[in-house]
Amino acid sequence: MKKRITVIIVTVIALLTIVSYLISERLNAYQDIEEVIEQEFRTLRQYVEDVYAIEFLDDDRALVFYSWDFPAFYNFGVMELEKTWRGWQFVEAISNRMERKRAWLKGTYAEIGDHAILRGPTWASVDKIEIITADGREYIPELGRAEWQMWYLILEDEPFEEATFILYDSDGEVLKEEVLEFDLNWPE
Amino acid sequence: MNLSLKYKVLMIFMLLVFIGVFLYYYGAKVRQEEADAEALRDYSYIVREYALDAVYKSKENPVEVELYPSAYTEAILERWKAISDRYPEFEYPEAAIEEGDWFKVNRVIKDAEMLKDTVDKMYEDATVEFEGLKGSFTTLLDYIFYQKYEPSNIEDILIDLGFESPREEE
Repeated sequence: MKKRITVIIVTVIALLTIVSYLISERLNAYQDIEEVIEQEFRTLRQYVEDVYAIEFLDDDRALVFYSWDFPAFYNFGVMELEKTWRGWQFVEAISNRMERKRAWLKGTYAEIGDHAILRGPTWASVDKIEIITADGREYIPELGRAEWQMWYLILEDEPFEEATFILYDSDGEVLKEEVLEFDLNWPE
Repeated sequence: MNLSLKYKVLMIFMLLVFIGVFLYYYGAKVRQEEADAEALRDYSYIVREYALDAVYKSKENPVEVELYPSAYTEAILERWKAISDRYPEFEYPEAAIEEGDWFKVNRVIKDAEMLKDTVDKMYEDATVEFEGLKGSFTTLLDYIFYQKYEPSNIEDILIDLGFESPREEE
């Protein structure tokens, strides 16, 4: 009798361990994306970071725009997260150094996952940016504000090597017009 | 139901095997995680220090990070090269830079003796008067990486030796 009880106890403990593990995995699926992002920064050791924007490409894909490294925050990152049965998971991250200093605008081209992205810092007084390419396409990039102000554009069509950027203030006045060039082959 | 002694021994043995395998894999996993964390810490340091661009392809088992020099990296290397051209004992790791082995590059410049000797020579070679204490081995690191003049008299020395252009008159 005693032996049978021992067998039952051992089996129950083993089953409980497996079940609790599965439950904890399942709970991960309902986790808060901002907590996941924080955790990923800790893992990547990209400390003292600032998140400018989280863009959901669809229900289970997100891009996080951020800059990191105290005190200058000159490393501009973009991180792709994917939602799986284990919750939000890291896919890839790209960090580009862009020292803002006196420049009105900086920008870099990068490809993350299936997406081509343009992004960079801009002056805090900029309220709207208009991008006009050489072949006449026009875009209005998103602006995100944290330590600096960052503009970003997730391209849906062909990338371009050069474009004119028109910066507007909150009254709609043109602050500055600048031409930026992009290296579409980066990082090769 | 009576379990025979043989069966009991077998059960205990199986249990021990199970625990042993679990502990082995758990230990291996913990060691792997520690190694990954260490690698990511090193990458984070080198990206910051050398103003590098980075692509984090994988953050665990194995960690895969590609590093690329940015325009700001080039500026750091230019300052380093200029000093090395004048003071050849101040090593400039051309091959490691070409290979993109930034950890190797970093080991070269962290030679405190080499840094101190070069700073001392710069103060000797300079023809300008300076006030205050001479720089230490960190003086050159501050200059090369952050273009920071610490102590401030090193700025005049660097201008005098032709590393930096003269300050604009206000």
